[in-house]
Amino acid sequence: MEYDEKEYILEKHEAHDSEHKRDRVPPGYYARNKAKNVVIVFLALTTLFGAYEFQLAVKLRRQLDAQYNRAFYEMTGYVQDIEVLLAKAMLTSSNEKAADILKDIWHRAELVSTNLGQLPIQQGALVNTQKFISQVGDYAKTLTSQNVKGKTLTQEQMDTIKNLHQLAVSLNDNLDKFHGELTAGTMTWANLAGEGTRLFAKNDVEIPMTISNIDGTFENMPTLIYDGPFSEHMTKQKALGLTGDKVTEEQAIENLGKLFGKENIRNIQKVSDNKNGVIDTYNFRFELEGKKEKSIAEADVSVVGGRVVWFLYNRDVGDVELDIDKAKEVGKQFLEKSGFKSMKDTYYTEQQGIATINYAYEQDGVIVYPDLIKVKVALDNGEIVGFESKGYLMSHRQRDIPKPAISMEEALQKVARKENIISSGLAIIPTNYGSELFCYEFKGKLDDQDFLVYINAMTGEEEDILLIINSDEGILTM
Amino acid sequence: MHFKKFIIIFALFVGFVMALTPGQAQNNSDRTSDLQLLARAINGEARGEPYEGQVAVGAVILNRVKDPRFPNSIAGVIYQPGAFTAVSDGQINVPIDPNSTVVKAAQDALNGWDPTYGCVYYWNPATATSKWIWSREIVTKIGKHYFGK
Repeated sequence: MEYDEKEYILEKHEAHDSEHKRDRVPPGYYARNKAKNVVIVFLALTTLFGAYEFQLAVKLRRQLDAQYNRAFYEMTGYVQDIEVLLAKAMLTSSNEKAADILKDIWHRAELVSTNLGQLPIQQGALVNTQKFISQVGDYAKTLTSQNVKGKTLTQEQMDTIKNLHQLAVSLNDNLDKFHGELTAGTMTWANLAGEGTRLFAKNDVEIPMTISNIDGTFENMPTLIYDGPFSEHMTKQKALGLTGDKVTEEQAIENLGKLFGKENIRNIQKVSDNKNGVIDTYNFRFELEGKKEKSIAEADVSVVGGRVVWFLYNRDVGDVELDIDKAKEVGKQFLEKSGFKSMKDTYYTEQQGIATINYAYEQDGVIVYPDLIKVKVALDNGEIVGFESKGYLMSHRQRDIPKPAISMEEALQKVARKENIISSGLAIIPTNYGSELFCYEFKGKLDDQDFLVYINAMTGEEEDILLIINSDEGILTM
Repeated sequence: MHFKKFIIIFALFVGFVMALTPGQAQNNSDRTSDLQLLARAINGEARGEPYEGQVAVGAVILNRVKDPRFPNSIAGVIYQPGAFTAVSDGQINVPIDPNSTVVKAAQDALNGWDPTYGCVYYWNPATATSKWIWSREIVTKIGKHYFGK
């Protein structure tokens, strides 16, 4: 009502005004028209803009789908190859041929893995498939090195290959079905990724049957135990270095106090009880009254034995005052104070004013690399700002180190560049599948490149070669 | 008067549409090393988390690289479609200071600090929409994240 009145008054007012003007154009006409035009232009622009954006989106979608299709087709091709190769591996009687075939399987598995990892499939939907492929490749690689050493495949290994072949056959069948749905258009990559529904989705988009069928094949896959990093035994490792009784939270805090000084720890809080990991721990957060500043530190103490597993004290580091030799000494003193005796520094890195030094356990003059502890030393004032002992806690024990079956001289004869060897020693090195090798360690230099060669002290086999990288950021091995 | 309102609304609408379209990508640093990539991923995923939580996110990425169920390179794991929100929402492209905390956290993760003891998943219980993720065995809780196997 009020509005109408106003309008009315306004119109009256304008009408009155117009009487004084000569032209017949109603008052406010230009202004209103201008506004109209602006709106029309805006509308046109937004429509054009929208159309352009839509076209662009369609184009990008097409490009993306093309990438996904490429990855999918490559992957299925390689899976077919693997099926054929596994069948051939069961048929050959020649070691050399078997090695060739197995090497091809390993190579194809890597390619399957790369392509599979590029497909837009929901988290967790194809994990078992990926695991199968990784294990097939890893297993084939292990068998290849066995073949190269002249060892024929055992009956047990043949049986495993047969099993893997059957699984590859059903993987192929399921991929075929999936391919059918893709080409029929009943399944699109956008659907699989759950796109278009994400905005309103409260829960997951359901995993399509075809996908869960693919993965279902491997759910009850027999466990594969062999000498490779993806072998099942790697997930079931025990902490050999953790002994003693279970400790309470209070005892754990006390152990932290021994390390940093009770008076330096303030407002300590237990953040979490860590379970289901390789080591059960108490996780603490506290204020540490450091040499330089008071800052937050975090640490884990093991439930069994009450050992500090790791800690981190993140603070800014000022101008570098310590050299690396001093830092190594500081780290060693800290380890001794913490009850780690007989630790020898090996390699280190230096970043942002912090040296991270690796220490390995030494037993009867033999360096035990698996028993590894890392210490972070701030190079401004020598404060310990980090500590990590999982390697040590997982593997440490007093070992029965045998007498070498071959002499140092005999081992040296196995080294390719004998004339370049500068020093030698004995070491226990870890394999990537959780075991240990007792070796002679030869250090040499070739064209300014430092290197390490490991010759098995029992069998004389060359086990590993490492390059020592000297850079501004420290000494590393590769 | 009405037209002005319309104009304002349309201008806002256009501005909104423009804001939604991703801008020119930030000038990427010339180093594409693992450290840089890992640090950016941590920055996009766990900025504002406690230091330990940042190291933990880095450790999860590295644990995946070593796990048969995931791609076997850092880039492969980070860019696996849908694996990390920082990749989907572009947060991973935000440039970082070489002296920032996330670089230190990435370095510690690469040097072997793993507060998660081998976890390959993490999620924020307040925002996680996936039912499946809750079937994972929880190992630890750091900051806003649960870490599981």
